[in-house]
Amino acid sequence: MSIQIIINGLAVGSVYALIATGFSLIFNILKFSNFSHGALMTLSAFIGYFFAVKTGSSLIPVIIVSMLAGGLVAYIGEFVAFRKITLRSTSPVYYFVSSITLGTLYEGIVTIWVGPNFYNYPRFFQSMVVNIGGFVISKPDLIMFISSCLALALLVIFIQKTRLGRALRSVSFDRDTAGLMGINVFGIIQLAFFISGALAGLSGVFLGINYTLYPQLGNLVVKGFIASVIGGLGSIFGAVVGAILLGLTETLLINFVGSGYAPVFSFLIMLAFLLIRPQGIAGSNVQEKA
Amino acid sequence: MQFYISILTFTLISVIAVTGIYVLTGLTGMFSLGQAAFMAIGAYVSGFLVVKAGVPFVLAAIIAVVISVIVGYIVGLPTVRLRRDYISLVTLGFGEAITALLNQTQSITGGALGVSGIPKITTLTLALISAIVCIVLVSYLKNSKYGRQCIAARSDELAAKAMGINVPRIKMTAFLIAVAVTSYAGVLYAFFTTYVDPGIFGWKKSAEWVIMVFFGGVNSLTGSIIGTIILTGLPEVLRFAADYRTVFYAVLVLLIINFKPTGLFGEYELSVGNLFKRLSGKKEERSNA
Amino acid sequence: MKKFLAIFLAVLMIVGMTACGSSQPEAESPSETPQQEETAPEGDIVIGVLQDITGVTSTLGKMVQEGAQWAADEINAAGGINGRKVKLVTYDTKADVQEAINAYNRMTTTDKVSAIIGPPVANIAIAIAPISEQYNVPVLHFAIDDRATIKDDGTPYKNMFLFQPSAKQQGAIMGKFAVEEQGLKKFGIIYNQSNAYSVSLLEPFKNTVESLGAKVVAEVPYQPNDKDFKTMLNKLVSAGAEAIYAPNYTQELILIVQQARAIGFDGRLICGLDACPPFPTLCGPEADGVIYINNITETEPQIQGIIEAYKQKTGNDATNKFFLGYDVMKILAKIIEEVGDDPVAIRDAIENLSGFQGLTGNITIDPNTHQTKGLEMVMHEIQNQAPVMLKRYSAEQ
Repeated sequence: MSIQIIINGLAVGSVYALIATGFSLIFNILKFSNFSHGALMTLSAFIGYFFAVKTGSSLIPVIIVSMLAGGLVAYIGEFVAFRKITLRSTSPVYYFVSSITLGTLYEGIVTIWVGPNFYNYPRFFQSMVVNIGGFVISKPDLIMFISSCLALALLVIFIQKTRLGRALRSVSFDRDTAGLMGINVFGIIQLAFFISGALAGLSGVFLGINYTLYPQLGNLVVKGFIASVIGGLGSIFGAVVGAILLGLTETLLINFVGSGYAPVFSFLIMLAFLLIRPQGIAGSNVQEKA
Repeated sequence: MQFYISILTFTLISVIAVTGIYVLTGLTGMFSLGQAAFMAIGAYVSGFLVVKAGVPFVLAAIIAVVISVIVGYIVGLPTVRLRRDYISLVTLGFGEAITALLNQTQSITGGALGVSGIPKITTLTLALISAIVCIVLVSYLKNSKYGRQCIAARSDELAAKAMGINVPRIKMTAFLIAVAVTSYAGVLYAFFTTYVDPGIFGWKKSAEWVIMVFFGGVNSLTGSIIGTIILTGLPEVLRFAADYRTVFYAVLVLLIINFKPTGLFGEYELSVGNLFKRLSGKKEERSNA
Repeated sequence: MKKFLAIFLAVLMIVGMTACGSSQPEAESPSETPQQEETAPEGDIVIGVLQDITGVTSTLGKMVQEGAQWAADEINAAGGINGRKVKLVTYDTKADVQEAINAYNRMTTTDKVSAIIGPPVANIAIAIAPISEQYNVPVLHFAIDDRATIKDDGTPYKNMFLFQPSAKQQGAIMGKFAVEEQGLKKFGIIYNQSNAYSVSLLEPFKNTVESLGAKVVAEVPYQPNDKDFKTMLNKLVSAGAEAIYAPNYTQELILIVQQARAIGFDGRLICGLDACPPFPTLCGPEADGVIYINNITETEPQIQGIIEAYKQKTGNDATNKFFLGYDVMKILAKIIEEVGDDPVAIRDAIENLSGFQGLTGNITIDPNTHQTKGLEMVMHEIQNQAPVMLKRYSAEQ
């Protein structure tokens, strides 16, 4: 019985992990919490949905369309909401405020577009579950887990091993110096947003499959935020681990104290964690000053 | 007419809450996503005391604010020492925890169904007077030594510490002031809508207030106030646009944040002296030209 | 100069907005008509519709509004009421209580409606109930939680009237059916703790099944934003539940039913009104076997006719809420025909309504509770993603 709970926890965790990869990419590169990520997930999920319904395709094309849509919208979004702030080099706080508003904008657009109903993705799988050794795992959860790991792996390889990745890292470390060294800072930022948007599209599709599609789906971005902060600034890997831990903790709490008190305990645990280990799980201890 | 009065009262209550947020976020630079929870505490405690325990309104209001401040103190102790991003996270978690608690404790708080039948005591006059009092208090704070210390702490914590400012204490005081004011706004809110339920006090509401401060101008109290009036009144006035109004609201805020990041009012503060200067300044300009 | 300009613009904006706002106070309703009080006797009869047109419960609210509008159109096509046309003024509550309260105040004061067709959403109705005491406009609503109609001291709110069987009645029917017809003995319950509708359906169900000898082995509440119910469902299963009672809104219900099947639960799922169509198509094959309660059954001939006509006109399926709205509009028409459009007279007539044959059944209002007496509900099972009627019950008091 408890193994089943742990499996459930991991499943929830992988949902959060998928959100956290996209979220933490921006969190680490541009050092702010991109709260529009959630609404972006919803937007691209809906684009994917309408594509699926119009063309009746199977899962993979829908994912690809969603990812492309997400990346594109994020790219435009960066220009609309964040470019001016980058140009002026005003305090990062403005990114945050702008991102929340951008998220509201996306959500508003989605609401106008799809109306008040909620939607469900067409059936992509014949059976929804797999039975492994007596434990029941739902297929979408399994695929989500695998894709989070895959996305994470690809992302880490990209950032660590490729030239563009190195450029990304240097921009995140010191934007001005990177620019002086001849790196196209704006291009890198755009790239980061594009990738983050694509990841949002990926998470959006899976969230839609798991939880039905509705305009407020993006509220789950908060989990990505929590995971990224717990995971530690500067580490996408940490964010993913944080997300999985978050999912596990939540599931265990729900099981033992009921879903009513779970947020209270989550809060206390989170507080304790941050006090004991301020650099998060895997982050570097970046001082605000000196 | 009744309708416009109610919108105005509602806006004034938001203004009161935002003055508190201004002290916290504008002056001291702490980003709290959980302030709405204190509004909830204020609303619930006072509502409960009056409806279920028959306590007179004024006493209930005072008790509610006191309790909020105590809770704020307990929450604030560990929180204000944290880094900027962590403060947002922890306050967010706190907000959600309070919402969950309110939902859970059904026997006392009525759970998710909220407390209804609260007598309507908040009138336009009460809201107006409270708003004016809060604005005057906060503006006095801003111009006082305390206010300047907050701004110093916000701009550069290390340097402020080096100058001998007791930064943790400043932050805690700002936090508590914000808590007190916001919970008072909560009291007014409960006695205005006659109904409270846990759902309205989530992190999105707190985020909305922060946006209002930024919209109006982080350095300007006037800006925050006018910003609140605009951003609270706007949805009401634009009701005919239905869904489009959210988009309109978002676009408006985005424009200001991007093109005038110092906010609608920038550094400007509306005060009698300023007005006078402006008027006489213009006269000078004209005579010089 | 720039700063002065900024202030000036801001002030201008506010003034402009207020001016705009006050010159079109009725502009939010889709069926808009500026209402002047002066056109009274020969003008249109104005009925307010207070529903969730957007937001999570919008499928319910929109249907009520559509049903009422359909009925109003029929009435107008037949010449109106005593020669006057019926005008529906709709306000969207956006599933937000604050909005609803504002809209309600507006309807009763500015628009001067003769009656209000209220929401099926209990949270909103409960919030409006105390406020309704100050006005004289009757509210015909569908929120089954007792608190939307009856005060703490047991007397009804003077203006609130419930037009479908209450939670007590519905819960009892579901319980009775589950034990007597299905022979189920052990129940697990999963419910939304913050939803008045869900919570109100708990006690009657529990009391009924326990009085008939069955047991509730576990109860698991969840929060509004919860999406993952597997752990909670597991709890019910491991406590030995043979059937799960899930009186929840459609969106959560889809997830609950899917996840229940996903964790391997094969037993019966008993649900409230929300498992009615379009739930079966939205949920998919997992919905088969679900038992639920409904006000109507789709195969009745008079209902079939309207369902087909509505589908032809709009392409959408009319749900039970549609017919609730329809019936209520027709009741109002009949009453107004008899007593005129004065809200107080209408209110009195509603209180004494007896034996109105509507599409949702034979409607009589009990003056002591402002709720219906003996209105019927039908239990269905979902087979092959379509509802199949099982048994008809008359709601006892």
